[in-house]
Amino acid sequence: MALDRKIAYIDLSTGKTEIKPIPLEVRKKFIGGRGLDAYLLYNNAPEGCDPLSPENPLIVSGGFLTATCASATARTHFMAKSPLTGLLGSANMGGFFAPELAWAGFHHLVITGKAEKPIYLWIHNGQIEIRDAAKLWGRTTTDTQWAIRDELGDQEVKSAVIGQAGENLVRYANVMTGIKNAGGRTGMGCVMGSKNLKAIATRGTMDIKIAHPLEALEFNKKFIEQITTAKVNKTQGTLGTPFIWGATNSWGGIRTRNFQFNQMENADEIEPEAIDDIATKTIGPHHMTGCFGCQVHCRAQYKIPSGPYAGKYGEGPEYTSLGAFGGEPDCKSAETVLTGNHLVNQYGVDNLEIGSIISWAMELYELGIITNKETDGLELRFGNDEALLEMVHRICTRKGWLGDVLAEGGIPAAQKIGKNSFDYLIQVKGMSNLHSDERGTPALALNVATASRGSDHLRSRPAIDLYHLPESVLRKIYGSPVPYDGPLSSDHMEYIGKAWEVFWQENCYMAVDCLGICKYHTVFLGATLPNFEDWPKAIYYNTGLEFTPKEIWDVAERCNNIERLFNLREGLTRNDLVKGDTLNHRYFDEPCRRGAPDIIGAKIDRDKFKIMVDEFYKHHGWDNDGVPTAETLKRLGLDKEPTHLL
Amino acid sequence: MAKENEKFSVSESLRKTRTFGKVRCHNPSCMGRMEPAAGSQQITCPTCGMAYRLFWVTPELPRIRGPVWEVNRKLAENIRAQKLEASKDGSK
Repeated sequence: MALDRKIAYIDLSTGKTEIKPIPLEVRKKFIGGRGLDAYLLYNNAPEGCDPLSPENPLIVSGGFLTATCASATARTHFMAKSPLTGLLGSANMGGFFAPELAWAGFHHLVITGKAEKPIYLWIHNGQIEIRDAAKLWGRTTTDTQWAIRDELGDQEVKSAVIGQAGENLVRYANVMTGIKNAGGRTGMGCVMGSKNLKAIATRGTMDIKIAHPLEALEFNKKFIEQITTAKVNKTQGTLGTPFIWGATNSWGGIRTRNFQFNQMENADEIEPEAIDDIATKTIGPHHMTGCFGCQVHCRAQYKIPSGPYAGKYGEGPEYTSLGAFGGEPDCKSAETVLTGNHLVNQYGVDNLEIGSIISWAMELYELGIITNKETDGLELRFGNDEALLEMVHRICTRKGWLGDVLAEGGIPAAQKIGKNSFDYLIQVKGMSNLHSDERGTPALALNVATASRGSDHLRSRPAIDLYHLPESVLRKIYGSPVPYDGPLSSDHMEYIGKAWEVFWQENCYMAVDCLGICKYHTVFLGATLPNFEDWPKAIYYNTGLEFTPKEIWDVAERCNNIERLFNLREGLTRNDLVKGDTLNHRYFDEPCRRGAPDIIGAKIDRDKFKIMVDEFYKHHGWDNDGVPTAETLKRLGLDKEPTHLL
Repeated sequence: MAKENEKFSVSESLRKTRTFGKVRCHNPSCMGRMEPAAGSQQITCPTCGMAYRLFWVTPELPRIRGPVWEVNRKLAENIRAQKLEASKDGSK
């Protein structure tokens, strides 16, 4: 049974492990995955701890439905205090790791301490071993995975690993599995590096008994039908996530040249269709693949077509690599996008963060705030493909003054660079914004400003707000499972009702993160994809546990609030540009200069934005400073936290 | 109980609203639906004049690949000039 999966506490300093069951009472309150991870972090991380200290717990999990008959439940989640932001660290990846961990008997790992020398964890059928990783240190993410398989003599072993970026404590290093599945935000790979933990390898053959197997399979057929017939997923299965970049660039929602423009003009060579052509030519017509138990297959396989890395195999690129190595630095070459994507996957570093930070440095260079002295002679200008890729190497290996400084993340780098460099840094809570431009989309601006792990599109983005859906449709979606009769607007340039959309999406995404479901299988990019009313059956048939849609909503709200409590404890304040729920001044002061006619001139209205944040807090039951009220905490059963139930 | 609830969920009930064979203009105040001829490579919005290049995911599923840059840039420049002019008038 999924309910039998355990939690393991692993102390790398002492080598001791302790395995515990997860009580039903905890399941009912937090379900599993990210939600339960948030509970564990709040209960186990000492207040104010250094993110790179042995005391910072690294929490690894699969979702509650992972490895059951439920579709697309392959997500692995990582949580710790972030070395990038000093607030909540959280990263989520697809692939095959989490199901293997579940078959090995575990849903959650809490890893503390620091090993004296590089090690890796070997987790198999209820057993946990600490093994020497001296021979793995310094190797790329894929080499490491293949070497572990060879050492263990089992080609089915799945590993979550770090590359050189994590070893070198780049503060936005990823955890990786497979070729390109990345736990890639807030520096969870850096936390692994700080613990001398090169990899977590797992293999399991412990069956997960399904509570009602025939019903689970039958229900999943309906689920798959609903998912695979959606236009958005048919498109994803052909072009992958870059299709979103293409569509967004079309109307003027792509951040270009740091934040100077909102559209990359004449980007034909890196449009998703052009990337798809390269994948077809280098791999063949059937080049799309997917994660465990998913039918969408949104991941392209390709070989780099030309240049110094010609012939190298890669997977992706995702939307974020088109932004990182295309729009942001204004590089129009597919070779550069695919090479950049390959490099970040091999080094194990966040493509979004590194692309944003290099583009920020490019703007600083063009403004004269940094010069050839800081770049060691590198012409760090927009459109300089070679300089872009050179900076990826330098940051991941901390080479040169600028490489080392940028590896620290945007805010520490701005402090070292000085002058007015911080004014140009497009970040929230210390994490760079997605390569989208939200000046024409107030709902999305609210989303990035208030997301719990720093600026982020996967925490609460109401992407369907862009579709101009009729109000009746919006009301159906956003009026369940809790009634909502307030305003809603089909106009994505409006401010009215958007706070509710963001609040609803925040709970929706938390729910799928607890269950381990991919966000492409819920109301993220497709309005007709499953949500709260569809999940109770999946949970019941697979695990035997009963939840109503409203109960799932309550769990999600509880988990979002415990993340909020963690952030408040670690210093979040509403209007702080470093640790708050607000945006860089350019959102309010600099209008869009490109894109569709209505987007030109758009910027965020400061007063209306403040009202949206007020409304968002009110929906949550938070006061005007964004602090949960005593009544809210009591309603959610969080008034006695930390409770140390595990 | 969840297993006894056999009515359509919100997502299932919205499935009938899916439209195939059409794309939407990307201009926020327009967002008009356009039905391109099968296999065509470009389409112009009859309402606002924005022009788009098309990609066919399947023979029934077109999507906008991107703008026809020169057409849409010109439209955008005109609008930008109008907005600038309007703001000058407003400041008088």
